[in-house]
Amino acid sequence: MTARANSIERRIQVAGIILIVGLLIEALCLLWARPISFVIFVAVGGLFLFAGVVVFLFSLVSPRSLSD
Amino acid sequence: MPHATTLIVLLVLFTAALVGVLVARPGITETRGGKILAFLALFFLPILCGAMGVSSEMDRSKTTAFCLSCHTMEAYGKSLHIDDPGHIPAAHFQNHRVPPTAACYTCHEDYAMFGTLKVKLHGLRHVYVYYFGTPPAPENIKLYQPFNNRECLHCHLGARSFEEGAVHTADPATLPAVKTNQLSCMSSGCHEVVHDIPNLKTAKFWKESQ
Repeated sequence: MTARANSIERRIQVAGIILIVGLLIEALCLLWARPISFVIFVAVGGLFLFAGVVVFLFSLVSPRSLSD
Repeated sequence: MPHATTLIVLLVLFTAALVGVLVARPGITETRGGKILAFLALFFLPILCGAMGVSSEMDRSKTTAFCLSCHTMEAYGKSLHIDDPGHIPAAHFQNHRVPPTAACYTCHEDYAMFGTLKVKLHGLRHVYVYYFGTPPAPENIKLYQPFNNRECLHCHLGARSFEEGAVHTADPATLPAVKTNQLSCMSSGCHEVVHDIPNLKTAKFWKESQ
């Protein structure tokens, strides 16, 4: 139970750090009104958000988590 | 900064703070409330922030200030202040026939369902060329396709000055040809003076009073 909890918690932390990076990039881009900020918002910020959400979802459904 | 953008930034920072709580104390996800918080902070709110941010950025990319923030576009921005009623973009901009804050986008979009995305994809290429390539001189910038009358008809179609104008009705074939884009509004002898970048240095400019 503890091992399972630790595994999920670790993944949640990884997902959270990725999401925080993505969210901070998005916030900076929203404050910086330049054409390049639009590209960074979508390409870099969007990629981090997508990756963070995927890691979080993976932490919920991964076989290792379920079998622990 | 528009209020909507400020609110989105605050939502993004609030979400980041919630995520920070989960990163610092992941153990709270073992409780029912913690699971709900994790779902909100790590799934729902980031997607909401991303969607709202994209919407805000798309809206901002339609503004005149956004278009003119590229050095290459400065000459086109200047052309909006030419003091000549026969100069189509300037006359529209100065008389608010197009929204001054979205002057470029109002005439340079195609209004189709996917038109905006297509225009934005072109815009992405422009950004790439601007930062990593060699941008053309302003007078050498050309449209991807000839200007479509549809952009003019979006406002002028049905207007009395357009439908009953003496020049427009002198030849019965003119209006149908214009409406079907077979005869360009900017044909020689009609409304052919648009941005006229090559002659910008000798142009007289309107000074906007505040």
